[in-house]
Amino acid sequence: MSELAALLRQRIRRDRLQLFFWIGGTALLALFAATAVATTYGNAAERDQILALAIQSPAILILRGLPQGGGLDAFVFFEIFTYLALLAAMMSTFLAVRHTRAEEESGRAELIGSTPAGRTLPTVATLVHGVSANILIGLGVFAGLALGGMAVDGSLIAGVATTATGIVFLAIGMLAAQFMRTSRGANGLAVALVGLAFLLRGVGDALGTRTGPLSLASAWPSWLSPIGWAQHTAAYTENTLAPLLLSATLAVLCFVAVFVLQGVRDSGASLIPERRGRASAGATLSSSFGLAWRLQWGTILGWSVGGAAFGLLAGTLSSLVQQAAASDPSIQQSLQSIVGSAGSMTQTLVAAMFSFVGVLAAACATQAVIRMRQEEALGTAELVLSSPVSRVRWLVDYLVLGLVAIAIVLAASAGVAALSLAASGDGSVGAGDVFATAAAQLPAALIYLGVLSLLFVLVPKAMIAAGWAFVAVGVVVGNFGGLIGMPQWLRDVSPFTHTPVITGSTTDWSGAVWMAAIALVAVGASVVLMRRREVSTA
Amino acid sequence: MNAVIEVRALEKRYGRVLALNGLDLDVADGEVHGFLGPNGAGKSTTIRILLGLARATSGRATVFGRDPWTDAKDLHRRIGYVPGDVNLWPNISGGEAIDLISRLRGGAADKAAYAARKRRLVEAFQFDPTKKGRAYSKGNRQKVALIAAFVTRADLLILDEPTSGLDPLMESVFEQEIRRAAGEGTTVLLSSHILSEVEQLCDRVTIIRAGATAETGTLAELRHLTRTEVAFVSGGLTNAQLTSIPDAHDLLVDAGRARFSVDSDRLAPVLSALGALDVQGLTIAPPSLEELFLRHYGEQLDGAGAGAAPTGDASAPAVSPRHAEGANRR
Repeated sequence: MSELAALLRQRIRRDRLQLFFWIGGTALLALFAATAVATTYGNAAERDQILALAIQSPAILILRGLPQGGGLDAFVFFEIFTYLALLAAMMSTFLAVRHTRAEEESGRAELIGSTPAGRTLPTVATLVHGVSANILIGLGVFAGLALGGMAVDGSLIAGVATTATGIVFLAIGMLAAQFMRTSRGANGLAVALVGLAFLLRGVGDALGTRTGPLSLASAWPSWLSPIGWAQHTAAYTENTLAPLLLSATLAVLCFVAVFVLQGVRDSGASLIPERRGRASAGATLSSSFGLAWRLQWGTILGWSVGGAAFGLLAGTLSSLVQQAAASDPSIQQSLQSIVGSAGSMTQTLVAAMFSFVGVLAAACATQAVIRMRQEEALGTAELVLSSPVSRVRWLVDYLVLGLVAIAIVLAASAGVAALSLAASGDGSVGAGDVFATAAAQLPAALIYLGVLSLLFVLVPKAMIAAGWAFVAVGVVVGNFGGLIGMPQWLRDVSPFTHTPVITGSTTDWSGAVWMAAIALVAVGASVVLMRRREVSTA
Repeated sequence: MNAVIEVRALEKRYGRVLALNGLDLDVADGEVHGFLGPNGAGKSTTIRILLGLARATSGRATVFGRDPWTDAKDLHRRIGYVPGDVNLWPNISGGEAIDLISRLRGGAADKAAYAARKRRLVEAFQFDPTKKGRAYSKGNRQKVALIAAFVTRADLLILDEPTSGLDPLMESVFEQEIRRAAGEGTTVLLSSHILSEVEQLCDRVTIIRAGATAETGTLAELRHLTRTEVAFVSGGLTNAQLTSIPDAHDLLVDAGRARFSVDSDRLAPVLSALGALDVQGLTIAPPSLEELFLRHYGEQLDGAGAGAAPTGDASAPAVSPRHAEGANRR
């Protein structure tokens, strides 16, 4: 018991700041959403209008949730709950891998495994730690919603559903850690499963059938997703915990599998074995750029697949929306008034989808620069920089890599969107408009490249955390700021707010020009400062 | 002979910590130069400055007459480097890493010759080049850097504790390769705290302590400063007889044997005294670098107490304050 306590203390000590932000951030999101919806959409007629539109627009359903009538509390649940569940899921997978596979990969697990704690107790400690964190995040969601004026019983259900989702993905993350040899691989697998769960839930909601004037029952894909199960608690309306039995069952099955697998494998080994490498390097590994590409192409591919998925969504959903709008012209008017543009339905939909593609491109660029810092901290940068590669050249190579990464993500999503639009027979948005919309995302992504580069040169130790925080703030403020009622000056902080919206001939490109100029200055400054910067591993 | 590395009054400050405090170092063309010092003495910091990875706070460091901070790229064409703690890319195999480093240095242009050299070294070091970087032990990671350093001819090899993690068999392969490189005219700066390695390989040695040069010179010059260890059976000899031996330092009797040390240039009177005493089971151990090293290291450990003058000889490497140190020896 004392060993378990020691392992738990170590986990809490290590995570205290990180979990504080995850849990606090999620609770605040719940609180803001509750209060903002109450002030912005206090009028029942307004809510009804939006829900009527949403039910006709699969895209909105995918990005929000399942409408359960026009009540204020149910409306808040519809708007925000899937994101609360998503945050709990992400927190849990990262937590699971951080304390299991990452520890094994680094060799620290061996140090612990040689003590009386043994091989299995650290996994038990991770389980207890993760469940505790999820209970806290559930309490946070409950408190946020209840303090925001929502009904107490429904808020409690929403909190429990958040906890259940988090615990399922804690189990999935720990299982992924059993299968993969590296923490990168395990995180990748687990996060992909979180994304799949969100998407299945979204598709299920989008294909749902009407059960009332302002409510839907989701189609079967939603029942394949732990986030879908949580959503089916229908807090504030039906208030049922029954769907969470599915979550509990899956979590228990995964946990059992984790301990069975843990019991039969060697410490540090994985179920999917590592392939042997080549004895000699291919042609790519001949320059520092080739090395950067080799290290980063898998990540770029991952973000590009994500971008292509959004492109596909934009293309396939447009025909559905067209049909809906043809049967009811008021839908088009409402959608235009929300997005604030005079473009066609499809244009508006494409613009909305590509605002997320822009985030993916920016995140991909962020990771390219972060990789440079990871190389420096690991000490492998020293191997390159002690060869005839100057510091500035090395920096520029990674910035070019970031630029290439952004271009690939945007091109992949634009290509897929244009193809699927053409296949759907929707002629209202041409391939040119799609690629222009994709190009409009470039300046915001360049801002990330430039600012991260400057952070790398000036504050290398803090840049990884600062980089991801910058992405998170950009997304929350830029893409969700309107939803949770942030003032305009705050929303202007996010680069994504200034991304041009391509709608016909009246596009305002001034934001793009400013952002490109700022990015260029930041890159120039970081190149100049890099001449004077030492290589520091610490 | 031209100086390949010339360091004068080098200082490096990290915040409040003074990592280098007036270091001097001269490495002549074609020599194998040992760079000795305990952990934290500033060996790696010096090497990072010589490679242009870190910048000196003050003082001067030149490599081939040029400033490594500003001319790093050109200098690196002529330098092979083995870091003290080799880290590899987790998902890149050892063979690929060797090729990458060699190509960056421009040493793999002649593909056939390069492949032959690589094959020879991979076999000599008994290295498996097909494993991923994360799967290698410390010794095998070290081999990657060593093979990459030896596979391309360099004018200067900078090796930061290159044999840490290698087994004795591999250490001897390493020594062969150093001799081979030196035979081809390569200058070597070998940082180490393995003294037998330095004694075997190095022409000259610089010992640093607390960021400053403590001793520098050829092995013969430095041996002159160390003492020879003498031991024999103590049975049948009185204390008065033992203490009558001239120039004996730190005399002690333990497990039936008397031991003392004697300045290497004061051996003759000791020998005649021992002959007069007709001692049995006599052993005389030659002076070693280890002793010299321990003397500086030991002093650092003792430095805080007993009014020793730990920095007293740093500026006067040729003449050691022998008697002050005597008090500090165990």
